[in-house]
Amino acid sequence: MSASGYLGLLPLAILAGSAILVLFGLAFARQRYETAFALSMAGLVAALASLFFAWTGAPQRFTALLVLDHFAYLSMALSIGATIVVEFMSFAYFRARREENGEFYFLLQLACLGCAVLASSSSFASFFLGLELLSTPLFTLIGYRREREAGLRSAFMYLILAGVSSAFLLFGMALVYLETGSLDITTAARAASGSASFTVLAGLALMTVGIGFKLAVAPFHVWTPDIYDAAPAPATAFIATASKGAMAILLVRFFAPAGIAGAGPFAWIFAAIAGISMFTGNILALREGNLKRLLAYSSIAHLGYILVAFVASGNQGSAAVSFYLVAYFVSNLAAFAAVAGLSTNEAEADSIEHYRGLAKGHPWAAAALTASLLSLAGLPLTAGFMGKFVIFEAGAGAFLWVLVVILAVNSTISIFYYLRVVSALYRPASEAGTGSMSPRPAMPALAAIALAAMAIAIIVIGAMPGSLMAFIREVARDIASNAAAAL
Amino acid sequence: MSIVALIPAFPFAGALLIFLGWRMKGRTAAIIGSAAVGLSMASAITLASISSLSPQSGSAFGLVLWNWLQVGSISVPIGLAVDALSIVMCLVVTVVGFLIHLYSVDHMAGEEGYGRFFGYMNLFVGSMLTLVLADNLLLLYLGWEGVGLCSYLLIGFWYRESANGRAARKAFIVTRIGDISLLVGIFLLATSLGSLDIQEIGRRAASAWPLGSPIASLAAALVLGGALGKSAQLPLHTWLPDAMAGPSPVSALIHAATMVTAGVYLVARTNALFALAPAVQLAVAIIGAATLLVAGWSALFQTDIKRVLAYSTMSQIGYMFLALGLGAWTGAIFHLAMHAFFKALLFLTAGVIINALHHEHDIFKMGGLARRMPFAFWVFLIGSLGLTALPPVTSGFASKDAIVARAWTSGDPGHLLWIAAMLGVLITSAYTFRLLFVVFAGRGASAANAANAAHGSAHEGGQELARPGPLLTIPLGILAFFCLIGGLVDFPRILGGVPWFGTFLGTALPPAREAEAGGGSELALALASLGTSLMGILIGALLWRRSLKPGFVSPSSGIASFFKKGWGFDRIYAVLFQTPFEWLCRVNRRDAVNLASNGIGTANLAFSRVLRSSQTGMIRWYVAFLAVGGALVIAAAVIL
Amino acid sequence: MNGLGSLALYLVVVVAIVGFIMVLTHLLGERHSQRGTAVPYESGIFPTGSARIRFPSDFYLVAMFFVVFDVAAVYLFAWAVAARELGWAGYAAILVFSLETIAGLAYLWKMGAFDWGARRKREHLERHGY
Repeated sequence: MSASGYLGLLPLAILAGSAILVLFGLAFARQRYETAFALSMAGLVAALASLFFAWTGAPQRFTALLVLDHFAYLSMALSIGATIVVEFMSFAYFRARREENGEFYFLLQLACLGCAVLASSSSFASFFLGLELLSTPLFTLIGYRREREAGLRSAFMYLILAGVSSAFLLFGMALVYLETGSLDITTAARAASGSASFTVLAGLALMTVGIGFKLAVAPFHVWTPDIYDAAPAPATAFIATASKGAMAILLVRFFAPAGIAGAGPFAWIFAAIAGISMFTGNILALREGNLKRLLAYSSIAHLGYILVAFVASGNQGSAAVSFYLVAYFVSNLAAFAAVAGLSTNEAEADSIEHYRGLAKGHPWAAAALTASLLSLAGLPLTAGFMGKFVIFEAGAGAFLWVLVVILAVNSTISIFYYLRVVSALYRPASEAGTGSMSPRPAMPALAAIALAAMAIAIIVIGAMPGSLMAFIREVARDIASNAAAAL
Repeated sequence: MSIVALIPAFPFAGALLIFLGWRMKGRTAAIIGSAAVGLSMASAITLASISSLSPQSGSAFGLVLWNWLQVGSISVPIGLAVDALSIVMCLVVTVVGFLIHLYSVDHMAGEEGYGRFFGYMNLFVGSMLTLVLADNLLLLYLGWEGVGLCSYLLIGFWYRESANGRAARKAFIVTRIGDISLLVGIFLLATSLGSLDIQEIGRRAASAWPLGSPIASLAAALVLGGALGKSAQLPLHTWLPDAMAGPSPVSALIHAATMVTAGVYLVARTNALFALAPAVQLAVAIIGAATLLVAGWSALFQTDIKRVLAYSTMSQIGYMFLALGLGAWTGAIFHLAMHAFFKALLFLTAGVIINALHHEHDIFKMGGLARRMPFAFWVFLIGSLGLTALPPVTSGFASKDAIVARAWTSGDPGHLLWIAAMLGVLITSAYTFRLLFVVFAGRGASAANAANAAHGSAHEGGQELARPGPLLTIPLGILAFFCLIGGLVDFPRILGGVPWFGTFLGTALPPAREAEAGGGSELALALASLGTSLMGILIGALLWRRSLKPGFVSPSSGIASFFKKGWGFDRIYAVLFQTPFEWLCRVNRRDAVNLASNGIGTANLAFSRVLRSSQTGMIRWYVAFLAVGGALVIAAAVIL
Repeated sequence: MNGLGSLALYLVVVVAIVGFIMVLTHLLGERHSQRGTAVPYESGIFPTGSARIRFPSDFYLVAMFFVVFDVAAVYLFAWAVAARELGWAGYAAILVFSLETIAGLAYLWKMGAFDWGARRKREHLERHGY
């Protein structure tokens, strides 16, 4: 292993090392909460910066476990960036009981490390390791506000369901290993694309359950609204973005180039999952009155959109997935930043009713939240529009007309419920009911910064996507060549 | 040269700031709004001086900010094109816009929604600049819709009066008909020529389409449809008089100086298309001439000061269309620029008068204002002379005479267009001076005094009314100055002028098709139109005298009322379109289409209820979901 | 096939025999229902109060720590038996692992997770100003 090889490992090492530092900070510092935040933020920023140095050394394999190529670094950048934004919105949110809340940042950073490992794993072993490293802190993050019973209940729900889905995943891996005798994911994926035996097919099917659970696509989506609702808003933001994104990246990296998505039984399975997810998510969201649950349902649909591009496969599909992920990340992070910023220690800002008249009190926040919702709905000049556009392009390029039509129909359906929220923002506040929330408290500075940054990103990506798109296409081309080189 | 991006950026930034901080003090909004347009004007002037100092060959200069979309061979860049045409338009929009913003600071003071007003105005200026700077049709269309939206918002600015809301909707819907025509035209051009870039379209059309081919005519006609709607030309002109419901600065900026002339700009910009479709181009000239006469005639019968000016605007734009139709591209743009100055001046002065008389619009209730508002009188006189193309005010004189002369030399059968143009000159000076005399001359003023008395004002009849403040007089003075000397930039050669303006524009627009008329006939034509104008003044004076007779009432019935109401176009449209449409709506209230579309919604909501029942919150059910899903996936994997 | 067949036969025989014995016991066995039959300790003391009482979770916590560090030791043994073959790379890996474990230990120690019982409770109260 050369020096540049270890340089490639630097982002992971920094994430892990600074997590330990955060732990020490929690143990020994006087201002535990602020120290933990500062150390964790420093570690994340350093890890993000180290990506630049690691970039030149890519692609390379690090033992049999990790493949460190540009695609992996891109997804690490996404996860780390999302984590930074989540920490920004958490700072004021958890501050009320600060001597007991510093651990949040430690757990968040571990989960981020899990995402990074997951996105760069090339073997079932590191895949599972990354997944568990991601899931285990999430149990705690979901139930982090112990005084809320719903949170605790949901934490256990997630624990049990994640355990069940991990069991499916492990069993699937075992079956695939039984047949191929290899833990390498690419080998397994390749085995599935040919005339695979029953064992491999069953194994991959079981793995699909595990992956589907993590992505929250139908019919493995049922946990989403309860967890989104009960978890603290920043934790929800992390689950919605980094956690799902890492899994989607893994899916694309191994299964798109191997052709598993483009042909064979799994093309049909994923196409069906995509279609059902789009309809289920959007239709469930229609009548939802709780913004966090609404975003949960909408995320089911969004992952359905992503799967359309995944089924389209090929370079274009991979690029479309990555680009859509970026758009989905910024839009969701903006929405959750607004939720987190407007929540108080007593009450979570989750009912849509609560947002009525926001434009009067917080015009900037309302404008940013509007941008985010319109982006999620996919209206032009937002990141979401460009994301949908590239997915359309990929879908049409692969002649997936049925899926493309379903996508178009669902975009229309989804506009209804997003606009319901937007219209609430600009309606006068209702006199009764939300009396406890008026006058609204000022938005905390860091959450406001996160919200503003994401809103600006939404507009910038929507208005001038050119360079980002070119960059992502370049990176996506990497996957195919690496997959070929890995043989 | 990338300073060009700043020109639209400043007003947009101003609008954003004002909207997002809409609880800011009105004063702050006014300062931000005016400063934004001022900076934009400074950028435009800088750009103009750079590009006129270092004229480039071909002169078109493009700045692609970024590429928005790329679908197959068609790309949609956010790109700006700078050439003489867009520079002239930018200067007109920013200079007039800035002066009107300054004026509004005082004029609109104390109005409800002061900040909102400046936000809309800034948004308008930004959109208008996008429109004139766009290098492709889609971006142009974006600006086109933007100005339409702002027009709607500003006409209905005083939204508490339902009539204003109706006027705003009327303007929006009528222009929308034209907009759709333009949009279809853009689609046609994009699909058949494979490009959205305006220059590229011109080149490809010239090589792909033969002269007078049906597709070229169709494309030109569709684009023309858009221009007619926006520029209030026959038959889509009915919205403009009603649009006077907006505040006076809005009428000056949007409904006189800039937005309504966007159609002229559009036709000039796509001149390559019209050159390929002579029939459509002739139609442009005929429509222009017809509008010129119809609107001018209606102006003779108006009693509302702003409606006189509105009809006059339509009529003047008719001149521009006439020039476009005759292939005098530079002449049309020249008249556009000159018209922007004198018509803005007239509207703003009208605004001053209206405010001084406590929102009195009826000219027959004014009278004798020359002594009581001397400043308003003088600037209004300058504007009127510009409108009637009389010296010593040079603006209208230079530009309108060029068009009239052009109509003479165009060689249309029997000089019909020239006759129309000359008739127009007569009518123009008649209605202009009727307005001037009625408002300012005589002692009359009974109603004005009565209005004063009713408001308990200390002013006695014949005394001067409150002097307008400096923020009102300075913009008016500057505009009046421009009217006086503006024409010098392209003065008729026979009178010792130099056609700088035409030469400058000539770098962007094709030259007129035929040679200029000889010197002698040019002089004769100028004298002829001068004489006609003077005759018109006489008629105007006669009309005024008639109104002074005791027992005179402004026309309310008969043929005069018919002309006053704009030749009954509103009635015709109501009968032809509105009534059948409303009938259809009534009949169709519960039709099948609606049922189906509602059914989709209902079905979705019902389905949503069913699906939501699966969200029990119980872990055992969720695990069961996982298990059943897993079983289904395995089954699918094995079976498929 | 032959092997599977005999296995199946074996299964059937096992189920049959067990079932037979259980049915027989059920039919022939002696049954009685008296005052003390249903109580937890048929011939012992009477139970008092509910069994669902709240235990201090300190026991549980310490048990967890024990398991965690015990499992860590398993990795150390696994490394130790192959230390020479794994070389310096293996040494580095186990070093990192140990340091991380020690960091966790330090954190727990500092947080007072090992001070259980009366002393912990007292300190906890003191810290919160009672």
